[in-house]
Amino acid sequence: MNPAAATNPTQASRRAGCVASLLAVALLIWASVAGAAGEIHRGLGPSPDTLDIHRAQGLSAFNLLRDLHEGLLTRDAAGRPVPGVARAWEVSDDGRTWTFELDPDARWSDGSPITTADFERGFARAVDPSTASPTAGWLDPVEAVTAVADNRLQIRLERAVPWFEELLTLPVTFPWPGAGRELFSGAFVLDERVPGARFALRRNLNFREAGTVAADAVVWHVTEDPSAELGRFRAGELHITEAVPPGRLDWLKRELGDSLRISPYFGSFYLVYNLRRAPLADSPALREALSLAIDREIIVDRVLGTGELPAWRLVPPGLEGWPDQPPPEARMSRSERIGRARQLLSEAGYSERPLTVELRFNSSLAHRRLAAAVAAMWKQHLGISTRLVNEEWKVFVTNRRHGRITEIVRGGWIADWADPGNFLGNFHSESPLNYAFLRDERLDELLDRAEQAHGEVRTRILWQAEQALLDRNAIIPLYYYVSRHLVRPEISGYEDNPMDIHLSRWLRLEPGQR
Amino acid sequence: MLNYSLKRLASAIPTLLILITVAFFLIRIAPGGPFDSEKALPPEIEANLEAKYQLDDPLIIQYFRYLGDIAQFDFGPSFHYRDWTVNQLIAQGAPVSFTLGGIALVLAFVFGVGIGIWAALKQNSPSDYLTMSVAMIGISIPNFVAAPILILVFAITLGWLPAGGWDGSIQRMILPAVALSLPMIAYVARITRGSMIEVLHSSFIRTARAKGMPEHEVLLRHALKPALLPVISYLGPAAAAILTGSVVIERIFTIPGIGSHFVQGALNRDYTLVMGVVIFYGVLIILLNYLVDLLYAWLDPRIRYEG
Repeated sequence: MNPAAATNPTQASRRAGCVASLLAVALLIWASVAGAAGEIHRGLGPSPDTLDIHRAQGLSAFNLLRDLHEGLLTRDAAGRPVPGVARAWEVSDDGRTWTFELDPDARWSDGSPITTADFERGFARAVDPSTASPTAGWLDPVEAVTAVADNRLQIRLERAVPWFEELLTLPVTFPWPGAGRELFSGAFVLDERVPGARFALRRNLNFREAGTVAADAVVWHVTEDPSAELGRFRAGELHITEAVPPGRLDWLKRELGDSLRISPYFGSFYLVYNLRRAPLADSPALREALSLAIDREIIVDRVLGTGELPAWRLVPPGLEGWPDQPPPEARMSRSERIGRARQLLSEAGYSERPLTVELRFNSSLAHRRLAAAVAAMWKQHLGISTRLVNEEWKVFVTNRRHGRITEIVRGGWIADWADPGNFLGNFHSESPLNYAFLRDERLDELLDRAEQAHGEVRTRILWQAEQALLDRNAIIPLYYYVSRHLVRPEISGYEDNPMDIHLSRWLRLEPGQR
Repeated sequence: MLNYSLKRLASAIPTLLILITVAFFLIRIAPGGPFDSEKALPPEIEANLEAKYQLDDPLIIQYFRYLGDIAQFDFGPSFHYRDWTVNQLIAQGAPVSFTLGGIALVLAFVFGVGIGIWAALKQNSPSDYLTMSVAMIGISIPNFVAAPILILVFAITLGWLPAGGWDGSIQRMILPAVALSLPMIAYVARITRGSMIEVLHSSFIRTARAKGMPEHEVLLRHALKPALLPVISYLGPAAAAILTGSVVIERIFTIPGIGSHFVQGALNRDYTLVMGVVIFYGVLIILLNYLVDLLYAWLDPRIRYEG
């Protein structure tokens, strides 16, 4: 435009246009930040590998799948197994035959009924080797899945499985509509997926209990980095975070105390000795000394500081029927423990000889801090030097599994289901997760016997198994995990629970809030 | 000219081939594989997966098969994002990265050139020194430091803009684009200032002024064009800086572009995804350099005759 042509009226209208467009932009910004009513925004953690119920693994995939699908059983807000597609079931006296009555209201997202055939098809695909399901091993005890009537499904087990109800809440047991049919059986359907960014879910109108679902939509945001996630939470873009960055607890309590949710979690953190590598493999006394020299109270209070519990055993407290008996080490004073550790060290012949051990862990700020603290305690109390080796995750898991170069590695386990056997089974000599390469006949025998036992008898056998594991000094239990999230106060229906399972169908965004 | 451009294009092919070869074997040398995880897979399942993704053949056979596939623009299935092919992931991520990079580039040139000219006109005044010191700081601060500061100020403290995520809306683009362009604004400003000062001291400008031409016309008609030449030649490196910068920025702002696929792909040992992104980046950089070279040749005949 020729500037000379600009007169006062056009200038004024141009200015008005500017103001209008600025206003429009401001409105746009406000609208998008505010979000729609009844839309809950949750942090997901890493982008899941797949949403295929049989091929998925990892917490983030499971969290999404639990919103989108439902098994015979599901979880309530407190994480307990409750009726899902099955409204009732009977168990035979030997615990091996389970008969489920399907809820006639259970429908796929297109309105067609969920049938016994959908379950038969799902189980068949799960165990088909060409599916290459990483979680199919969980179905090992399942002998047969058959429809016994129109709406009755029978599952035969090779042996009674105490955690079977919980198993039926896991994606690998969900109904499957068949190849090429993307249907949903859960409270929500998938609206949009952007790998690496977000998964947008919208209410499933055909869900059997659609009336009880409060949220219209749920958006799961991929949050690889907890610090970035915290930033988005503070900016008001997330209602619930998947994680909390380590080492900032005091600050978080001060700034976001009304949102911080810390609660016991069925998970255990420990260090594992490679029992194929000298000198640690040859000297139980040395292994015990190293364990005793680590002050768990300092670890949980000063190094972690997020409410974790000090651990002297493998299985976390709070599992049903599990005795709450601290081992003798827990009752000893700090100086008693260190005195005993030094005595063991000299019995092992290392009180004068210099010794260097290696501690290997996967890269993370929390693990590095912990490893440094452990190394300092070994140096101070036992005079043992530690070589700290920090590896990227894939490198670490490969080295740990092969066990050729490792000495002491970071271990840890989060329960697949609330059962002590889920923790202890990893140390069976045939377990692929036995990074200690422990071969203990008594432990194997106890674990095998526990598979055939029920109730209190089984608990007692597993308790003995844990003692057998601890007697071998194959691991150094350090602490029991806690779950950590930030949950905005306007979210209701969120209940802390030790499985840390929070289906979006129980959540409600209080009206008038965003 | 045509001869020159064809020659330059032909030399791109061996470059690309070397890039593909080195990248292919490098990612395979990295310890750990795409299917390694905490819970080790049963051996038969692992064998099944390896067969499915054709990882059970000797590496050299896999290499030649891969070359055959990419000759047909098929980058294969992603090893980690099992529901997606690499082509789909790139097709989904590229527009995001391009939008972000494009905005950053425009910001860099508009602000960089503006600031540079202003500083040149005020040469050796306090405001010149101030701007150039700020620019120096801008170049020196890496964007992984600048980005969290921007988030802290504009998203958390002031609450004006979102702290991350991507939905194609303008307000989500502002912070990442600014973070990406900041070092470049500074760099462009310094280049512009330098070349502008040089041009303003040349004899044809003196002639123009001697003729009594108004100062703004001297600047716009005579000085600006030659002063911008070095800035234009910075286009190629700038595009490369945007690509590498976006790897960091996309991660900080959780933006689902190519850069974040690259980082995540490498961590997941997602061989096909990493290769796909490497090739995509490689072609892009070669293409941009080629365009800049052509632009040069067009501007300076000496290059095309010597080449």
